[in-house]
Amino acid sequence: MVINHKVLGIVTLLYLLLFFMHILYFSLKKEKIITLIWVVLYITLGLHTFGLALRWIESYKLNIGHAPLSNFYESLIFYAWCVSFVQIMMKKRLSFPIITMLASLIALFFMGYASISPSIEKHIQPLIPALQSNWLHIHVITCFISYAAFVISFICGLLYLIKWKGVIPPEETLEEINYRSIVVGFPMLSAGILTGAVWAHYAWGSYWSWDPKETWSLITWIVYALFLHARFVKGWRGKRIAMLSIIGFLSVIFTYLGVNFILSGLHSYAT
Amino acid sequence: MLKFLTSIRLTIFLLSFISIGSLFGTFIKQKASVEEYLSIYSENTYRIIRLLGLDDTYHSPWFFALIILFAVNLTICTLGRFTRFIRSERDMKLPDEHTLTNMEMHFQIQGKDSVEAIKKLKKRYHSIHEEEEGIVLEKGALSRYGALTIHASIIVILLGSFIGLIFGYKGFMVLKKGEVRDQITIRGDNTKERPLGFALRCKDFKASFYPGGEPKDYVSTVEVIENGNIVLEKNIRVNDPLNYKGIHVYQASYESTPSFLFNIGGENVILRERDTYKKNDLILMVARFEGMIHDFGPGVLIAYLEKGEPKTLWFLKDVERLREKNIQGTHIRLEDIRDELYTGLEVSKDPGVWIVWIGFAFILVGLYMNFFIYHRKVYIRKASNGIIVAGFASKNREAFNEEFERLKRTLW
Repeated sequence: MVINHKVLGIVTLLYLLLFFMHILYFSLKKEKIITLIWVVLYITLGLHTFGLALRWIESYKLNIGHAPLSNFYESLIFYAWCVSFVQIMMKKRLSFPIITMLASLIALFFMGYASISPSIEKHIQPLIPALQSNWLHIHVITCFISYAAFVISFICGLLYLIKWKGVIPPEETLEEINYRSIVVGFPMLSAGILTGAVWAHYAWGSYWSWDPKETWSLITWIVYALFLHARFVKGWRGKRIAMLSIIGFLSVIFTYLGVNFILSGLHSYAT
Repeated sequence: MLKFLTSIRLTIFLLSFISIGSLFGTFIKQKASVEEYLSIYSENTYRIIRLLGLDDTYHSPWFFALIILFAVNLTICTLGRFTRFIRSERDMKLPDEHTLTNMEMHFQIQGKDSVEAIKKLKKRYHSIHEEEEGIVLEKGALSRYGALTIHASIIVILLGSFIGLIFGYKGFMVLKKGEVRDQITIRGDNTKERPLGFALRCKDFKASFYPGGEPKDYVSTVEVIENGNIVLEKNIRVNDPLNYKGIHVYQASYESTPSFLFNIGGENVILRERDTYKKNDLILMVARFEGMIHDFGPGVLIAYLEKGEPKTLWFLKDVERLREKNIQGTHIRLEDIRDELYTGLEVSKDPGVWIVWIGFAFILVGLYMNFFIYHRKVYIRKASNGIIVAGFASKNREAFNEEFERLKRTLW
């Protein structure tokens, strides 16, 4: 087993630990645990970054050096990294353990899925000609940061609808966090689509070819654009906004996973 | 009618329909053959798909109409927003005492001179309106142009894509090593050729692979020939197209086809599948190629006429006894089977692409303006025994609250 897999294995366990620390907090209600949770989250993100860096270095040792952003396994690992990164970026607002609990649970899911599923190729693979471009980095990073920000928005929407007393932050706060995460996600998704379009122009010969991935990213973009207009132009609040952020995230997941598994197209690096 | 065209309700309706239409387009196979559709759907379903144009959703008239309507709606909304904006800037007034004290963020300082306070605030904010009784200042005004910039950029992008659609084209060219062509094939309902205005010659093509067998690099060395002169030579790779006179040439695919070297009556002849060879009475045709015939290796099936009767015969390269034969008195021997590489080049011209890039750049600028700068106004007004200071931000109130508190401390 290669070292990056070991490190990423420990990272997966840390996400599990984070989840249990939240459970502990909810049963003991000691504020100290929250401080500890953030410390562990920082350590986890640090180690996670280290794991990705190791994988990058190991790829150079195999003479096929490239950033670990090239296949499905690497995208799952990077998605989990982005979820933690966005949490730390939004730390000031995320002082509600229920949100960080669900976010680390989602990160845990991606890490676990990546390492457990037998159908996922975990080894470092060489870059095929279509991916040999500097656009790869900026395109993948912007897309996954946006996907991660939408995780937070989804959690807020979900919590708003559940209305679980005592644990859920106040409704206005949830809406504010929801909106703030879309402020990160929407520009990032736009940048991801645009960098993808420029790259497609140089690699495939057309900046837009209605490839299923492209089309679904556009659908996702439209859903969040509707969210922003509903909120600012129509003044929507509450349940309807929560529903929109859930629909938006379903569309994100379909763009990321559904397109790869159900539809075929130019973006078929992942399966 | 005009009111409907400019309404946000129409925008929401159009965007929803564009999304749903696109969604169908991703689930239903696009531009496939009738046989393919009938193998997936029943005849009635296929009839509905054809009727709705869902076999080529993104180029169907109704999808096009939705996009055009969206462009019109967006243009009118953007213009309307812009004029309202200019008007509100012109009618700037300092609110009265009552309005200011009713604002969420405000404070009063007793016995304070307004001149000094205004001087202090002018260092941090831009004055936009001054009158006898006080002043209106602002910061981050750019943010109010954010949405406008984004919307205008989308119109620019749509414009660029229409220009590409009308004046651009896309086709492909398959070149064998050494071959020269000056026409491309345009795909479509009726495939047609189109002259390029110059010729391309494939000087070389190489495909390389990683030790594990994954493709590593496809490179076509291509010469651009114009009026008989070589004007440019370039290695075209997958992420590195050739650009000549606004025409892009991309490395899209490659094919390998076997060619067969025959010695026919002492003469070396290269034949490919379906080729015919004629000399005097002898007529040969390469009917078929098989990579492996039982355990005997590759073989070529030759069809020929013997006394008016069609006959066939296998030539096996690796079996000495079966690689030569006399047909109508001529000695024929299969000397070699070679793989000939063809490079598949995608050729496209899109004069609208620069407009699209400009739209992209401005959309990013607009997003930054809209989401990462926020607009706030600060008012100072002389009151009976001092000054009233009030502040207002339409977005990001939390951040402005902190800023306003700091402002309060500096003024006290």
